[in-house]
Amino acid sequence: MNAVEALVAQIQGLSGSVADLSHLHNLLKQADDSLLNESTRLLPFLDQLDPSKHSLGYLFILRACSSGPISKEQAGELVLIFSRFISSCAAEQIRLAPEKFISVCKRFKDQVMLLEAPLRGVGPMLTAVRKLQSSSEHLTALHPDFLQLALLAKCYKTGLSVLEDDIFEVDQPRDLFLYCYYGGMICIGQKCYKKALELLHNAVTAPMSTVNAIAVEAYKKYVLISLILNGQFSSSLPKYSSSVAQRNLKNLCQPYIELATSYSSGKISELETFVQTNEEKFESDNNLGLVKQVVSSMYKRNIQRLTQTYLTLSLQDIANTVQLNSSKEAEIHVLQMIQDGEIYATINQKDGMVRFLEDPEQYKTCEMIEHIDSSIQRIMVLSNKLTAMDEHMSCDPLYLAKAGRERQRYDFDDFDTVPQRFNI
Amino acid sequence: MEGEDDSAGPMIDEIYANGGDDTNHKRPIISGEQLDIEAYAGLYVGRTKIMRLLFISDHCGNPAMQVEALRMAYDEIKKSENTQLFREVVQKIDGRLGPKYGVDNAWCEMVDRRADQRKEKLENELNAYRTNLIKESIRMGYNDFGEFYYSHGALGDAFKSFVRTRDYCTTSKHIVQMCTSAILVSIEMGQFTHVTSYVSKAEQTPEALDPVTAAKLRCAAGLSHLEAKKYKLAARKFLEVGPELGTSYNDVIAAQDVATYGGLCALASFDRMELKSKVIDNISFRNFLELVPEVRELINDFYSSHYASCLDYLGNLKANLLLDIHLHDHVETLYDLIRNKALIQYTHPFVSVDLCMMANAFKTSVSRLEKELEALITDNQIQARIDSHNKILYARHADQRNATFQRVLQTGNEFDRDVRSMLLRANLIKHDYNSKSSRKL
Amino acid sequence: MDFSRLQEALASKSYAKVATICDGLMLQVAAEGVAFQDEWPYAIHLLGHIYADDINSARFLWKSIPSAIKEAQQEVVAAWRIGQRLWTRDYAGVYEAIHGFSWNPEVQGLVAAFAVLYTKRMFQLLLSAYSTISIQDTALFLGMNEDDTMNYVVQQGWTLDPSSGMLTVKKQAVVSEQKLDPSKLQRLTEYVFLLEH
Repeated sequence: MNAVEALVAQIQGLSGSVADLSHLHNLLKQADDSLLNESTRLLPFLDQLDPSKHSLGYLFILRACSSGPISKEQAGELVLIFSRFISSCAAEQIRLAPEKFISVCKRFKDQVMLLEAPLRGVGPMLTAVRKLQSSSEHLTALHPDFLQLALLAKCYKTGLSVLEDDIFEVDQPRDLFLYCYYGGMICIGQKCYKKALELLHNAVTAPMSTVNAIAVEAYKKYVLISLILNGQFSSSLPKYSSSVAQRNLKNLCQPYIELATSYSSGKISELETFVQTNEEKFESDNNLGLVKQVVSSMYKRNIQRLTQTYLTLSLQDIANTVQLNSSKEAEIHVLQMIQDGEIYATINQKDGMVRFLEDPEQYKTCEMIEHIDSSIQRIMVLSNKLTAMDEHMSCDPLYLAKAGRERQRYDFDDFDTVPQRFNI
Repeated sequence: MEGEDDSAGPMIDEIYANGGDDTNHKRPIISGEQLDIEAYAGLYVGRTKIMRLLFISDHCGNPAMQVEALRMAYDEIKKSENTQLFREVVQKIDGRLGPKYGVDNAWCEMVDRRADQRKEKLENELNAYRTNLIKESIRMGYNDFGEFYYSHGALGDAFKSFVRTRDYCTTSKHIVQMCTSAILVSIEMGQFTHVTSYVSKAEQTPEALDPVTAAKLRCAAGLSHLEAKKYKLAARKFLEVGPELGTSYNDVIAAQDVATYGGLCALASFDRMELKSKVIDNISFRNFLELVPEVRELINDFYSSHYASCLDYLGNLKANLLLDIHLHDHVETLYDLIRNKALIQYTHPFVSVDLCMMANAFKTSVSRLEKELEALITDNQIQARIDSHNKILYARHADQRNATFQRVLQTGNEFDRDVRSMLLRANLIKHDYNSKSSRKL
Repeated sequence: MDFSRLQEALASKSYAKVATICDGLMLQVAAEGVAFQDEWPYAIHLLGHIYADDINSARFLWKSIPSAIKEAQQEVVAAWRIGQRLWTRDYAGVYEAIHGFSWNPEVQGLVAAFAVLYTKRMFQLLLSAYSTISIQDTALFLGMNEDDTMNYVVQQGWTLDPSSGMLTVKKQAVVSEQKLDPSKLQRLTEYVFLLEH
């Protein structure tokens, strides 16, 4: 026990400067095994430490405390210690031992799940993600856990906050798959279909050497969201996707591919029949809700198509063309689409007509110029990043060695092409 | 082959001799009325005559006409040496024409026996030529074989024999002869890629081709483009066929066909300028068009925007065109193209078009016209929008400036999205590779 | 639980902030392990989302409410009824849901503010979507009786065709800033320069 007391004293003394902390980190690593042996008796020592000042030491002891099995009663108490530590700990200290921090947070998540109180984990886990991240481009191992908790606690809006960042750095490929899948689900819940599609696209096209279940589920949703958002789906994946994905995903999601084919016919009754006969499959995948949205998106798509062809059209003709039951139903559809900004039109109730208008945007307002300008800025930043990465890559000894050795088999250009040359 | 020509010769003379005074033949053969099979068949000789008759009997769906076509095919085959085809036709007739049109076994045996003898004779001759190494004789020998096989319906062997003469050709004339024979057989086999290649071989010979051969080659090229659905190229070839063709190619195609195929393909694929300069003002093609006045009229109607009358003519011709061995697969497509062209051409000069008037001009109802226009607009063939309330079509002039802005923003967004996901993938691959190599170390 | 910020927002009629304040507070107390559900102002929280036009969040919040509370607190159910009508785009039903419950005093202000806001939103929708519309439908959309509706829209310059009972919508000219900030022009020059060199 004295050893622990001594360690606590060292923690108290060596939590100030950077040099001290690095010394402390070594001491803690050496003491780690003995701490684990003492795990059951460590809890009281935490009271002697201030989580915001002695974060590194606190982390090691907390990690050791929680390493053994935890009962539900203990969990209630521990969860509070965890969440207070996460919210008050110093980011620069815990980042010295990221694996320990991740492991503590994962323990925390497990306890929250055990207590069936995912909401308790949402706030602290978000804090944990932010503290662990070296930059907003960094995908941590905690991202998926945070998103999962947000989904379970139905805090979709909170979940959305981390999805706004552009992710480039990934520690573990598996994290990315889960991040994209959970993230996609959150965006779907908030009806941010564009972002959802992007996330699912990344999951489906990410490099993979074997098919994983996450990619398959992501692919199913990817098909559905493509249809809802774009009204079409090309069953061939882009050529930069892994050959595993290109070869297998389609076959594993047959009903979805057939749904897309049926959709492309533009015939609502055909699509509805198909959905009815396959309802169980979609239901068991928990995708029936989305499938129903796919069906209703076809009405919209068909009405949108009419705007390209007609200047005016009677509500009755719209109803007939897109197979709605009455002109009143057509009016409601048109109205909702106007409300959502999906078409530009005015309804003339007196004559029972709709007049379709051109997009009123004239690209003249200050707002629009601001928007265009910010797009240019964004793309310039991105383009610079691309150039930097290209340079970095072409100087990377590992890459050069590999490229030189296996030029024919492994040419970087083969699996990734720059969309187009863009010099800024 | 020559024997065949002789036997068919008088028949043609008869038709053309009678053309002036016989009331039966006064009206054009390809017309709105039911096909006059006898007159139609009279346009052709040789194998194509038989095949066309059989095609009609297979596709007309009219028992009387079917039997009539079969009867004439029977008679025609009897003049040839193709016992295989003979048996097929007899089977198709199935006793419907009485005992006179039954299996004539004696005839078959006689023909087959004579064929065996002839074949033996040809073989002996060819062997003799080969031992003597007389090039010209060997060529003749193979050529005889080709004709022998062709008349007995062994098209594959005929083709091989004709092609084999190539090594023994000594003059351009020989090459051209080889090519035309190969083309004839290929057309009968439906091998239109061969047709194209032998046409170009023949046209590449250094000496100028005589006008008749040149015309034949254009017809063959036209047919192969038609088969490949390259209607514009087909039209150009048919339009270039010289008047020298006459009846010289009626073992393949009649002058009437040149007019019909060329006219319809041109209508479906040419713009107004080309239609005027290459069809309407084309003096030599006018001669062909005179043979099929309906086609001439409908082209003129189309050009002078009398669409209703043009479509009337087309409608009347349709049933018979569907019985044409080369055209039947393309009738629907060509008709659609022509109708769409007419619709587009009609709307083109206007800022706004009254749909009621347009529907009148196209002999259709306003609602059906709306659907047709809808399809063409969706397909971006007509830049206009329909005011269904007032039944007016308005031309639509895209705002280039706005469209450009829209496209720029969209391209920017796509670039943004693609680069981000690419950077991510690159990082993953790098990570994957690094972790693999660190494991190895 | 410290509801002072929420009370402040309600008192100063900053209703747009209500949802965010509630969301944040909920995560905070949940992390502390407080059993907050029984005391939680769910009705206000729901109405906060509804006011902010975030029906998705309102729907997810409703789904997370324990069924015991849904049974015990009629006001929560009434608040969600509004959300439900919005979700199904039952435009007229929203007004029924608003007026069909006698709200507690602390909620009244929020509900009344939402009703005004919603009428405004609906008026904007009619403005953009209709050229002519019957007076009955207008009344349904705006949640008023026909006389009030007439007064309301005539003030906005709409006219009534007495024979058909149809109102002609008067479009409002959209005024937007078109003056260009000189710095933007400078930027543009830089882009062109960059692209050319």
